[in-house]
Parts: sequence; structure tokens; C-alpha cells
Amino acid sequence: MRNFKLKRSLTLVAASSMLSLTVVSIPTVAQATPACTTANFVTTCLGATSDTAPYMMMVPANFNGTVYLYSHGYRPNVPVPAGIPGYGGYTVTNTPEPAPGGNAQIIGALLGKGYAVMGSGFARQGWNADSAIKTNVELIGVFKKQFTKTTKVVAWGHSLGGFITQALAEKHPELVSAAAPLCMASDIGPLMTMAGDALWGIKTFFDPTIKGGNYSAGQAGYAEAMGDLVKVFTVIGSLQAAIGANASAPAWPATSQVPAAIKAIPSRSALVMVALMSGVPLQSAHFDSTSAPPGIPATSALSFQLAINPALAALENVANAAALAVLATHDLELQAGGAIFDNTATNYAARVAEEQFIWSSALSGVSGIGGLLSVLAASPRAKANPAAVAKLATLTGHSGKVEIPTILFTGTADPVTTAGNQQSVADKYAAYWSEKWAANKKAGIRTRPANNQLVLWNFPPEKYTKFTAAGSPDTTVPAATGTNHCNFTVAQHLAIADMLAYAAVNGKNLSGGALLTKLRKAGNMTFDRGYAAARLKGLGG
Amino acid sequence: MIRKTRRRRTWFAAAVLAAGSLLATTLPAHAETGVTTNSIKLGITLPLTGAASPGYNKIGNAMDAYFKYVNDNGGVYGRKIQLIQKDDQYSPQLSIAKTNELILKDKVFALVGPLGTANFTAVHKSVGLQRRGIPSLFLNTGFSGFANKKSYPTSFTILPSYAMEAKIVAQFLKENFAGKKLGLVYQNDEFGIDALGAFTAAGVKFDVSIPYTSGTQSAATAQTWVSQLAAGSAQVVVFFGVTSATAPLLAVAAGAKYAPQWILGSVGSDPLTLQALGVPVAVLNGALTPAGNPSPNDLTDEYVKQFQEINTKYNKAAFDDYVLQGMNLGLMTVQALRAAGPSLTRRGLIRAMEAKGSTFASVAYSPLGYSRTSNVGHTGYYMAVMGPTGDRKPFGGTVMLYTTDSGNGPVVKSNFKRPAMPAKGLPNNS
Repeated sequence: MRNFKLKRSLTLVAASSMLSLTVVSIPTVAQATPACTTANFVTTCLGATSDTAPYMMMVPANFNGTVYLYSHGYRPNVPVPAGIPGYGGYTVTNTPEPAPGGNAQIIGALLGKGYAVMGSGFARQGWNADSAIKTNVELIGVFKKQFTKTTKVVAWGHSLGGFITQALAEKHPELVSAAAPLCMASDIGPLMTMAGDALWGIKTFFDPTIKGGNYSAGQAGYAEAMGDLVKVFTVIGSLQAAIGANASAPAWPATSQVPAAIKAIPSRSALVMVALMSGVPLQSAHFDSTSAPPGIPATSALSFQLAINPALAALENVANAAALAVLATHDLELQAGGAIFDNTATNYAARVAEEQFIWSSALSGVSGIGGLLSVLAASPRAKANPAAVAKLATLTGHSGKVEIPTILFTGTADPVTTAGNQQSVADKYAAYWSEKWAANKKAGIRTRPANNQLVLWNFPPEKYTKFTAAGSPDTTVPAATGTNHCNFTVAQHLAIADMLAYAAVNGKNLSGGALLTKLRKAGNMTFDRGYAAARLKGLGG
Repeated sequence: MIRKTRRRRTWFAAAVLAAGSLLATTLPAHAETGVTTNSIKLGITLPLTGAASPGYNKIGNAMDAYFKYVNDNGGVYGRKIQLIQKDDQYSPQLSIAKTNELILKDKVFALVGPLGTANFTAVHKSVGLQRRGIPSLFLNTGFSGFANKKSYPTSFTILPSYAMEAKIVAQFLKENFAGKKLGLVYQNDEFGIDALGAFTAAGVKFDVSIPYTSGTQSAATAQTWVSQLAAGSAQVVVFFGVTSATAPLLAVAAGAKYAPQWILGSVGSDPLTLQALGVPVAVLNGALTPAGNPSPNDLTDEYVKQFQEINTKYNKAAFDDYVLQGMNLGLMTVQALRAAGPSLTRRGLIRAMEAKGSTFASVAYSPLGYSRTSNVGHTGYYMAVMGPTGDRKPFGGTVMLYTTDSGNGPVVKSNFKRPAMPAKGLPNNS
């Protein structure tokens, strides 16, 4: 296998979709009445809810009565020092985001159709679902008071904002007519289990000095978390360099303390194991797990397809997921009052029992799998603080019980909020629907309950890994559709917006040919009742 | 009052009947996906290109040729079979994408002969065949894990499992090579796990045991295998791998004048494929192999003779084990479709496989294990010896069939007689 250099550091792609913000001047204290200005037929209002969360409203002169309430995704609640790839230089912000990423095209298109948009920056960053729901409820009231022509509120949000949106739909159907949780987070326990597994895997295989959780209180804990970020990205960087130097048998990072016999297994296989055991997908922004550089011998091509490409996908996705894992773990431990990740009873062999056959070559065969699992089995496990876990369980979760139309949409290769999050909510709704149908039958009602949940998927293409003329993977090209976190196009967002408007007016989702036409025109949006994404590992997936 | 009610009921019943007959005349005869009044659409994923494709890339065309032959002779209850082949390059991720394409875009009725253990595991996990109720007939893999009706209720294997194969080879080693130094080269995945587990259970210990990771096979790696085998003085070497690994192994061994008694697994011993990969066929002379089917050159066999005729007219490919296997998959598929009856549904096809699959005619010598509780296909092998042209003949002159299961069941010598080839190779079962 030839050596190659990736054209760009993989870790630099990590946070691009998470932290795009709208920069506006915002109030810092609660305002009973928003401060509004009108220009170019659009009234823009700024203010803050009673929790001091700043908000922004944009209302066109021809306002048709429907407003889109956007909930932004996870923003770290601590500053990230410069120098850390992807996140370096981030400072905590609660800038309001009235539309996905503050995208001017999306805002312009909605305003142009007579819709209003609004969004809060939320008072607290990090995992803020409980407070954000309250903020949104208040914000809806403020908007309706300010714009009395309002008839419908539709909610949408990305990632953690998707979580908030779903919860809002479940808890406040009286306020929201339709909702679209996008690339949503759900089930905080299993989600943080995924994060914890990934971090613990990196720590166990590559650098045992990574703390991976159970951070101290206060500044010391912050320093530990930031230290972990540096270590995680150092590991990622080492692996990237090692694969670049020798893709077939990349060296282990110098910080690794696994036994020498285990180091006979290529380090890339351990990386793939980390992805599989935690549930991180093996299709990433630039690596499809199917392609090989053109022109290389057939046997090398097969090896690249089966073993190297999946490792590079794991590298890219784990880089994306691990940073958020550190930041979210630190944040939630502070909220819960102790360690929340516990793998004392986790059987990692069972976790990968089926997938080990699929990714056998990438895992270096049976002996490789056996060796890697032996390390996982023998390594000290992380133990959670029961009180902290109990407190975490009191935070808002999803029941799936929703009466208003909802539209779920995510990429099947999202490495942060994996597709299993969306599947979880779809499964819960299916169970709820079955309950209702059973109750109907018991009551002698032969009419099936309406199915008000529309589940859409964004599948990556079959092949999308690009190679330079020299045969090296090219990571400078845009992330493939269906990959990366919340990687949606403007057209997809606007299709969702149109479908939300339809649902709000009609009390049901778009269906039939009209739906399929809408999806086809937007591109890379699939409605397939027969598809079910892999469940989160913490839920038995 | 009573009479009046009865009249109303009579009127209502008549109206329902009338509506029913109207529906019967206006609805298409078949609303099942992939089935029309005159066609049945089937799909297969397999490596048509790439390093793993040699040999395997002939299976789809052979099936298609057989279907064309059946189509030219009236089809299945008047329906012509259309086979759509998708190249997955042996990549599991690509198998998922291609199978999704077959299901969602091409809208096939069923999958037939999907190839590869990792590939089908990935498809089963990600595509939701069970949830969609899509039949997957005759999986082209010997992984014993698929022989689980609960986990794979819509899937049916065809090949004896690798575990069965290893158990039979173990028995053969005990009977014929006791006391010899034994070597084993095996693919270090579920393919090898099956074999290794069965050898261990049978009490066979190898003096030299060499795993290789799928995709790493090459002349360079084969050099290390041969060095280890020779250094260990292995006199009998069992090989459990794919043909693209057999080829460098035999070529390097021949070059090094290392000539143990080879026992080549059924998967990687096709002479024409080895020849195409640059291995002189003569190196196969004397090699032993577990075989399920007769030699593709045995024109005294009614199946081979018929399939060769069909191949000559419809396929024009060099007739080898892969073509024979493809033709046989076609034959079995047609029997399954016929057994499901004229009102073809996916559910009906699965039920027909369960109820009647064990009676199907097949070129392989061993019984078929299909039932309501089993999705297992063929269950045995005979040992064959290869000649200087790569052709094989039964070891000892006559077919001695061994049958077994993938578990702890014994290996037994069987007198099973396979069903006769349907007249002109055209099934008329129902």
C-alpha cells in the first residue's frame, strides 16, 4: 500500500456545522417589550426573555400569520482555548439564531413568502433543554403579543435544538402547530453512553492519561476537560499521521500503553473498534468505506475498500464526535453533580457481535478482533455516581407521544447525533400509535389513528471519497450529503419549511405524490417506511 | 320486520359481491412488488469487478442464462423472469447501497443468491429485509450463522456451511491422514471461525496454523505462508479461503517446490478461475477438495449435461463450477417460484420454501434441509481428487457422501439419492 498524505487535517472539519452563528447586537437583560426596527419591509425585533435569554424576531410586512421558531444546537458552555483543532478560540455565546445557522438564504426565502422567523440564543449553553423549552414557551408568548396577527407557530431545530423542538411538540401542542426536529439528539442517557464509550475507547487503546469523565469541580475540572481535548486530538493527529505513513500497518500513538502483542494489530483496527463499540458510523464526511484510489492493483484496491477506507472514516467521525463528547460530558457532570458514564457492566464483545463480521477486514480479522476485545475486557472500567445518574434521569426526555404533525430528518451517517437518535423517537411514536390503535379497537372504533410523524432520511451516496492525482484521499472537498453533523442544504431546509407550513395549516403531514415530488426536488431526502436506522448502542443497537 | 331486515341484508350482501367482482375485474391480477401478470423481477448482489470477482462474476450471468432458457419455454406460470445484477465489489457498505437500489429503485420481488458473508450480514442489519418481508433465497455463503431461522426468517441458505465442510474434512483427515503433520491456512474471519471451530470440536490439531485477513492475499503474503508451512514440515495442508488466495498460495508453493497434500476448501478450488489468475492447472494434480456438486466436466451427469447445453446456447461462458452453481441457483429459484403458485407473493414464496424446498431438484448430491423450522440448504459433501487438468473425480472412485449439521451432530456416510433433473431442465413442480 502506498503512503499518502491527507490534504487537510481531518480534525479541522469537526465543528463547522455546529457553531455557525448569527452576529447581531443583543440585549443582555430581560426586556418586557422587544426593541423593533423596520427596514426593507422587514421588522426586526431584539429582546430578552425573563431568563435573560436574548432573542431575535424577523417579521415581513406581508406577514401571513405563521412564524418559524428555531432552536439552535449545542454550544459549549465553556470557552475552548485557542490551538485545539476545530473548536479552538470558541467563546461562550448566546447570540440568538432565528433560522438554521442564521442562514440568510433560508431567512430571506421564508420572509419572502410572508413567514416570520424567530429564535432564542438561550440563557445557558451546554445541555440546556429544560430551560430552553421554558424560554421558547415564553418567547412564543412575547411574539404573539407583539404580532397579534399570528395564527400558527411551527418549531424546528438542529441537534440539541432538535431535542428541544421534539420536547416542545410533546409538551406544548397548544402552542405549536407542527414541528421538525432535525439531526436530533434524543435519549440523553444513551447519547452520553455513546460519547463515554468513544472517549473510554480512545483512552483505553491510545492514551490512558485521558480522563474521559469524572472531571473535578470548578476550574480544575475545566482544565482537565480541556486537557482531555488536547490529548484526544493529539491521538487523532498521531493516528492520522501513522495511517498516512503506512496505511496497512499504521503505528500506535506513543502514548498507547496496550501490550506489545496487541500493537501487532494495526492501530487503525483499534480505531474502527472504537467507532463500532460506541456506535459511531463508518461513513464520514470524506470516507465512504467503499472506494479505493484509482489505478492501484486490484488486491490493494480491495484492501483499501475493506480495511483502510473504513479506518479513515472512523478517524474523521471519531474526531467529530470526541470533542463534543468531552465538552458535553464535562457540562452534564457539572449539572448532575458527578460522573455520569458507567461501563462496569458493558459487554463490548456483545456490542460488536454482528458488526465484527461486516468489518472483519478493517478489524484485522478474528485474531485482531479477539485481541482488541481482550484489551477492552481487561481494562479498568468507568463507574458513575448513582446520584448523578439519577439526576440526569430527571432531565427532560422524549416520550414520543406527540399529537401535532412532526417531521424528522437526519443524515444516516451523522457522527454526533447518530441516526439512532431519530430512530429512537420514531420507535417511541410507533409504540404510542400502536397503543392508541389498540385502545381504539378495544373501544370498538375501527378507525386507525392518524400517523402524524413523517420520518425522512438523508443517505450518503454509494461512493464519494475523492482522491488527488497522486492517489491520496482529498479531504478538501465538501462533506458528502448524509454525512457530518446537521449537514443539510438550503433546499432541504426550505423543503422542510414548506412541509411544516403545510402541516400547520392542514393538521397532517404532506403525503403521497406531493410529498415525493417535494423530496425529489429538494434532493437527498428519502421517505422509506421500511428503513430503520441502527439503534443507539446504549439501547441495544 | 324480520323479513325486511333480511331483505336489506340480502341487498347489502349482493352489493358487496358486486363490488367484489368489480374489483376482481379491474384490479391487476398481482399487486405484489416486482410481480406483474407477465414478469417477475429478481435481484442479486455480487462482486462483478475487483479482486474478489474472479469466478463469482460468472454466477449472475449463469443464472440469467438459465432464466432466459425458462422464459423461452413459457416462463413461470406465464411470467418471464428478469434478473438484475448489482456489482458490490465485495464491499459490505456497497452491498447495502446496491440492495437498497434493488429494493427501492428497481423494486425487485426477491433477492436470489446474494453473495458474501460480511456483505449479507451488512445488508440484513441495515436494509431491513425481515421488516420488509423480502425473501432472500439461496445465500451464496457458507456461514453457519445464517442458519438461524429466528434471526433470518426470510432468508434461505444453499451451500453446506463452512462448519459442515470442516467437520467432513476433519473426518476425512482422521480416516486417511492419521499421523501426518497437518497445516491450515484460513481466512481470518467468520469463514475461518466456522472451520476452525469445527476442526477443534472434531479434535483435529494442526501443527501449523496460518490465518490471513481477507483482502491481504498476494504473492508476498503467500510467500510467508509457504515459508511457515515448509518450516513446520506440514505434509497435509488444508486451505480455507477464496480463490484469489488459493492462487498465490499454490503458485508460490509450486515455485518453491513445496508439494504437500493439498486439501482445498470448496470455495477456493475452481480450476478455471485459478488458471485465469495465472496458476498452472497442473499444480492442482492430486489436490483433494470437498465437493457438493459433480465435476462441471462430467457429461454423464444429467444436470451437468443439461446445464452445459443451456450455457452453450444462452451464456457462452467457459463452463466451470461457478457457472454450474449459477445455473443450479436458477433451477432452484424457478422451482421455488412454481411452488409458490400462480398468485405469487413474498409471503407465499417463503411458505413454499419452507413446505416444499427440501424436495427441490438440485445438482448437489446432498439433501436439502428446508422446513418450517430450518432455512438450511444442502447438508453434505463428498471428497474429490483433482487431476492434472484440474478436473475432479470422487476420491476412491465413487461418490461417498458425508452429511452433517453445523452443530454437534455426527458426520455420517449417506446413501441419499438426489431428485432427478426435471425433463429438459424445466421444472413442472407446484
